[in-house]
Amino acid sequence: MSRQPTSCREIEPHLLAVAAGEADAAATERVERHVAACVPCRQELGHYRSVEGVVRSLRSVPVAGDDPTLARAQLSASLADLRSRLLSFGIFPSPLGPMLIARSEQGVALVQYLPASGSLGAGVRRLLGEEAVEDRHATEGLWAELREYLEGRRTRLDWTLDFRRMRSDFQRRVLEATASVPYGGVTSYAGIAARLGMPSAVRPVAQALRWNPLPIVIPCHRIIGSTGALTGYAGRRVELKQRLLAVEGVRAVAAHDDFRVRREAMYTLMNGEHEYCVPTCGSLSSRPLSVLTLFGTRERAEAAGFEPCTTCRPDLHPLPA
Amino acid sequence: MGGLLSHPGGFGVSMGRVMADDAFEAVVGAHHAEIRRYLLRITARASDADDLSQETFLRAFRAYRALPDGANVRAWLFAIATNLGRNHFRAQSRRRKAYAAAALELPLRSAGANPDGVAVADEARARVEQVIGGLPQKQRLAFIMRKMHELEYAEIGTSLRCSEESARAHVFQALRKIRRGLDGHLAVTTEPRS
Repeated sequence: MSRQPTSCREIEPHLLAVAAGEADAAATERVERHVAACVPCRQELGHYRSVEGVVRSLRSVPVAGDDPTLARAQLSASLADLRSRLLSFGIFPSPLGPMLIARSEQGVALVQYLPASGSLGAGVRRLLGEEAVEDRHATEGLWAELREYLEGRRTRLDWTLDFRRMRSDFQRRVLEATASVPYGGVTSYAGIAARLGMPSAVRPVAQALRWNPLPIVIPCHRIIGSTGALTGYAGRRVELKQRLLAVEGVRAVAAHDDFRVRREAMYTLMNGEHEYCVPTCGSLSSRPLSVLTLFGTRERAEAAGFEPCTTCRPDLHPLPA
Repeated sequence: MGGLLSHPGGFGVSMGRVMADDAFEAVVGAHHAEIRRYLLRITARASDADDLSQETFLRAFRAYRALPDGANVRAWLFAIATNLGRNHFRAQSRRRKAYAAAALELPLRSAGANPDGVAVADEARARVEQVIGGLPQKQRLAFIMRKMHELEYAEIGTSLRCSEESARAHVFQALRKIRRGLDGHLAVTTEPRS
């Protein structure tokens, strides 16, 4: 063990600090006073200054393998991949209960109804995947627009969509066809199947819509049963479908444990035509819903770009409100 | 997406909404080379430095948006890199071997005098590297962060999950060991250089 005097032991850390240029003025002065009178400590300070010199010289010695070019290129590729997979999501209190909105670099990827507790179930977690981070800030602009939509103050959500969570190409085609059903209009599952040129694929269409990762944005609530019954939505929450349709001016009346749209009270468009009619025009009332689009109001039919029929003149003889 | 785009009531593409990640690009540009060099110094293997630096920045990217404004990004990256480096050593259970390898592989000597113009014997430098390679992990990491990358003690403390004082103590302990390792090889400098 060292038999240094106490004063030398106490000054030792300060010697290191002075040698490293880290000591404050008081410590520096103390060290200077001490080494002026103490030869061993003066030498020790000199040694530490030499150590600092060697260490400083090491800092400027190139390190073997210090070329980051390749690593940087690999990082760029990995970051691009991660960016494309990364989802930012926020959870918001909507009039329809807590909702999750998630977006990727490519666009809006998920809109999901959550249970009243706001917790993320296994299904939603699976959809989010591993690269999801809660980031309200990244999604609150979307939420503001969605809220306006739910309150009837906005009829379009001009969002860039990320379709990579589609289950299949078929589902994607079903959702694209669904997205073409205008605001305020409804058609049937068979109608979507017909648009795809697959009139017998009614059940697969219904299944594809059941797993719609972007409800509201892709308006699967505008797709109803051939009889006019709403038939189902978001699991067993068909009342959400009725409320979404009500926002768009489509009234559905309660019927048993479901709701039903009354064709006889709806303006009717033969798909492919440019004019909308009252439901009794010509042979419309005998046509299946699959070839029709129904509107709750004239305003909605006209906002979607359709004109009043020149025969039945719904503009002159509107349906009773 | 043609069906959606072609429909008048459909969903238009609005490029302005794509997330802006330019800020993180700037972080990569400013710090990647140094973080990789730090990892190279502590692992002494270019392939490990490549992997760990990549992982450092991927983790940083995931967490970047949650980082408060005005945060010290460089110190934060060092903390992530240090954490990954320590996990790496732990996982491989080869700390001693890595240190020995570090002592052997670290230097690529530049010829002649260092930029300070002070001739330093290669032998002294080699001894210092040897001592650094044999230091306990925290002392070694603290020493490299302080003396090779000039981080503040508080920043080193954050990286090593210890106090600023402990970080300083680790560095000083490393200096004492280096000084002992150089016994008899030092030309004593009696005046400060600056």
